[in-house]
Amino acid sequence: MTHYAIATDLNRCVGCLACSVACKALNGVPVGNFWNKTLRIGPNPINEGDVFPNVEMYFLTVQCQHCENPACVQVCPTEASHVLEDGTVQIDKSKCIGCQFCAMACPYGVRYLNEEERVVEKCTLCEQRISQGELPACVAQCGGRARFFGDLDKGVDSFEAPWVVDVTEGDPSYEKGQQTRITLKECVQEYTEADIHHLPNAGNDPAFVYVLRNRTWQGGE
Amino acid sequence: MELQWPLIIFTTLLAWSCGVFATQGALALKGEGREVQLPALIASVALLAVSGVAVFFHLQHWERIFNGFGHITSGITQELIAIVVFVVVAVVYFAMLRKSEDGGTVPQWLAVAAIAISVVLAVVSAHSYMMAARPAWDTAVWPLAMLLAGGAAGALTVMAMLAAKGGESKVGALTSVVLAAASAVASVAMVAVWQASAGSFADVGYHFDPTSPTSALVDAAAETNVLSGDLAPLVWLGVVVVGALAPLACAVLAQKKGGKSWLALGATGAACAVVGAVCLRVVFYELGLSVFMFY
Repeated sequence: MTHYAIATDLNRCVGCLACSVACKALNGVPVGNFWNKTLRIGPNPINEGDVFPNVEMYFLTVQCQHCENPACVQVCPTEASHVLEDGTVQIDKSKCIGCQFCAMACPYGVRYLNEEERVVEKCTLCEQRISQGELPACVAQCGGRARFFGDLDKGVDSFEAPWVVDVTEGDPSYEKGQQTRITLKECVQEYTEADIHHLPNAGNDPAFVYVLRNRTWQGGE
Repeated sequence: MELQWPLIIFTTLLAWSCGVFATQGALALKGEGREVQLPALIASVALLAVSGVAVFFHLQHWERIFNGFGHITSGITQELIAIVVFVVVAVVYFAMLRKSEDGGTVPQWLAVAAIAISVVLAVVSAHSYMMAARPAWDTAVWPLAMLLAGGAAGALTVMAMLAAKGGESKVGALTSVVLAAASAVASVAMVAVWQASAGSFADVGYHFDPTSPTSALVDAAAETNVLSGDLAPLVWLGVVVVGALAPLACAVLAQKKGGKSWLALGATGAACAVVGAVCLRVVFYELGLSVFMFY
């Protein structure tokens, strides 16, 4: 089994919004709608009662979590929302009747009705790219190299991000740029199990992983 | 969440239709109100038909409903199955009424089937909105409130129709009072559940969405404060006074006076129950907030 997901090191995210811009550019997301967003969480007191400067914050990247038990798939009457063999949740727009129950059933509000096509849309995890071995646009363009893409069944350490391409030596092609990668384990600071978080679980078991060290994860799991 | 008027009308009329059908089933069980059986059946089916038209206005691509429709875990599919069974029972009911000598008698088993499918349809329809993602919706009180409000509206409607025909029914009167009282309790319980739901939402403290820079901070306690917040007038006046207390008062008064008084009081009570049901649904959608409502 495969279950593709994204792991984000929130200690590395600088909130540049390159992921949102890349997603919009690549997927043609309508004005006013977003397949991913970067929220600023905080500043919140480090300890209860603390005031500035004893505060902390982090940026939280949010999009479809490509859940293990997606409620959106369960409520879809036509199976337009479905789980692919690679574990990602996709929408077959030709089957969608626009009832929007999937949007109601999503705990994260990441689905919306495309007013022009009159069907529901959301992040596809750039299926058109990952199905041919490329990285999702939000991972490929991440300004802080905070986002990593991979198969949960192979472990978060194996997730990959683009890496520096030395164009002064050897092959300077686009392909080389696409294939030069670094794993999460090689790239980020050490973390423990306690540093791994998920968005609040309403029974849907979100697949995306967030790493946050030395700060308090807000909003529950 | 934005108000979904087609769904508000759909669920209100569907529950009302179930209430009418179940009440006439109760009358048939006791052999009362024979003269109102056929008009009540027509009213019930007409309400269901109008609710069906309303729900199509919600679907963005209704022409695709046969394009794979039938995913059994979907509440919408379950609703459709229950509606088909309801229509089948209604058709058999109609045939039996026409077949009976007095034009108003059906077999006991059919009367029980009418009550059972009415309860099942109302509950299945309400159950499709019970989603863990929306804490204010994810409560067993919701199907009870929908079922009982529809039941109260239906019972009062049947009693008003019966009074217009010059008939009387003890079991109909009792059903109206009991359902109106139970509906009032369920509606008030729904309000209490909403008020208590604030703690079920994710709280991230201060936050900011750069794509919506002028949005205020999310405050779950304020959003769900139905007793004294922005929604309070609609809750107190629409849900509690008009939707819960007025139908009960009408039913109790009509039972006391009896006879022709059911025409005016039954019709007024039914109208109040329907208006209250609409108000309940408006609040329901207003409170349809996601567990994680920061996106």
